[in-house]
Amino acid sequence: MSERTLSGVGATPLTATGEVVWYRPDFELPDRSADEVDARAERERFAVAQQLAREELENERARAEERIGADEAAVFDAHIQFLEDPQIEQPIVDAIENGLPAEHAVRDGYESAIAQFEGMDGRMADRADDLRDVRDRLLRLLTGTDRMDLSDLPDGSVVFAERLTPSDTAQLDPEAVAGFATVTGGRTSHAAIFARSLALPAVVGIGDELREIEDSEVVVDGEAGEVIADPDERTCRKATRTEQADVRSESVMTADGESIEVAANVGRPVEIEGATERGADGIGLYRTEFLFLDREEPPDEDEQFEAYREALAAFPDGRVVVRTLDIGGDKPIPYLDLPDEDNPFLGERGIRRSLGPDSALFETQLRALLRAASETAGDLAIMFPLVARVEEFEAGRERVEEIREDLRATGMAVDAPEIGSMIETPAAAFLAEDLATRADFLSIGTNDLTQYVMAADRGNERVGPLHDPRHPAVLRAIRHTVDATDGTWVGMCGEMAGDPALTELLVGLGLDELSMSAVTVPEVKARIADTDSTAARTLADRALRKSTKRGVTELLTEHETGVDQ
Amino acid sequence: MPERVVTVVPEAGLHARPASAFVRTANEYDCDLRVGAAEDADGDLVDARSMLAVTSLGVGHGDRVRLAADGADADGALDALEELLSTPEGNDEDQ
Repeated sequence: MSERTLSGVGATPLTATGEVVWYRPDFELPDRSADEVDARAERERFAVAQQLAREELENERARAEERIGADEAAVFDAHIQFLEDPQIEQPIVDAIENGLPAEHAVRDGYESAIAQFEGMDGRMADRADDLRDVRDRLLRLLTGTDRMDLSDLPDGSVVFAERLTPSDTAQLDPEAVAGFATVTGGRTSHAAIFARSLALPAVVGIGDELREIEDSEVVVDGEAGEVIADPDERTCRKATRTEQADVRSESVMTADGESIEVAANVGRPVEIEGATERGADGIGLYRTEFLFLDREEPPDEDEQFEAYREALAAFPDGRVVVRTLDIGGDKPIPYLDLPDEDNPFLGERGIRRSLGPDSALFETQLRALLRAASETAGDLAIMFPLVARVEEFEAGRERVEEIREDLRATGMAVDAPEIGSMIETPAAAFLAEDLATRADFLSIGTNDLTQYVMAADRGNERVGPLHDPRHPAVLRAIRHTVDATDGTWVGMCGEMAGDPALTELLVGLGLDELSMSAVTVPEVKARIADTDSTAARTLADRALRKSTKRGVTELLTEHETGVDQ
Repeated sequence: MPERVVTVVPEAGLHARPASAFVRTANEYDCDLRVGAAEDADGDLVDARSMLAVTSLGVGHGDRVRLAADGADADGALDALEELLSTPEGNDEDQ
């Protein structure tokens, strides 16, 4: 068998070799010759599978309605209707009458239905996914296959999937998974961010070709953005020899002595360990949503307290910047009554919910944070997501002060934490000066800032090229933010901060702190140590004069090759 | 054969929940029910009981569709489907 190379987008600069496990399993269909097949028995099997599928769907519908809401439940209605659709059912029954075993008839019948929707856009493409789900359910019931359990994979599995959602990745056992690859998604998709936060090799957005790879040994090369199926010996040897920058646990300075803090973005306990192992100076973004996802009710104050204490204790000499709950948008939480919004990214999320319907949760979170800070050596900093108005920041800050006063009244010694505003909306970037005078720090979240400045949904591949922080409009928003501050430190915690190719530019733009997935910390530290801050500022000034992203990327490439010579 | 032309009011058009409700309602009647784009006078109408067929029409909010019924309680079926297509989503009594 010869090698086959598929290209996508590398999520981490890491490489792994392993055995493919499809998350949406392809079913082994038994091969039976026509004379073994009893058409009447096969029709009966099909009818039974249909009945069982209907019962499952009705149960799942009821559960979804209870946990998530009527809109989610409606998806199951559509599935039931596809399951009993005469235009799908009739060809399947005909095929069985013509001697095909039920599972083959189901596969073929759905294939032609799926083909009708495939290649169409948006909602139509979603219908193709619905049909695949219904087909897979029937095939699973017909072949007696167990449901895939992502929490119980053999060691060294390379998970292939159409896409991975937060609830999928929450189940994945990072110890067993060597890496993964997905059909859809870009650098800022959930799957890619997940890969970086756990330092897993991953390639996303490979496209339909990935579906053709199964039962194979593969190399996932995140550096090159490639998946190599049936690798030859040479490729495998090369894959096991990936080079990594040395870990520096001490803080770094540029070649001319300017200190830049390099911190890690984390969401779960396992990532905190990765952050210390890779030499992060602290945590620049603690995403607290993971504490709230995939459960029936919110974590109580004590549970949150434990989680925050653990994070602060991991960096006794460092700072831990905690982002308060950022839900809404693409992060639904079943037990919160999240509204059904036409534009969730422009809707009620982040600080808007914390000051509104989730104010009780916000308060519990702040209490847990302040209590944790009072018991640990690490410095706590709190920042609010999606600030668009000065009043929002002030209201958030007041809540922190009130809760701190309450705790002090009980005799607890609670130091004032640093309180900062995230700069993710164009509004916040324009107001950077006003926010900076009221805040202890600003932190630029480049994923959302890029999404909102460029008006390009970060999950939508059609506008993928717009979702790039090297667009001059985004760079100028960053520069404006940094320039507006006077003595207040400014950090960056989006994916941009962890791209080593942009490190010098970011130093030149004047960022005081860069926070990234732990996996890129060593490389970014190495880059900073090699950077001369004067040259970096010249580079940034030149980049800011460019009118196009192309102008910026050409400048960076030119500069990079110049430096290398 | 009774026919009607109806403007589709639900925001989602004949997709997602409205499509589900439409197909479910069509399946409650015994008569033959067909649906298609109104502008397409000679165009083929498709089986209103098939989610696949109904969704493939790609009917959006504000589009006009032609409904045709043949058989028992044809008018009753057309009344029910017309009402459904004329009701904004959210007001429909979805259980």
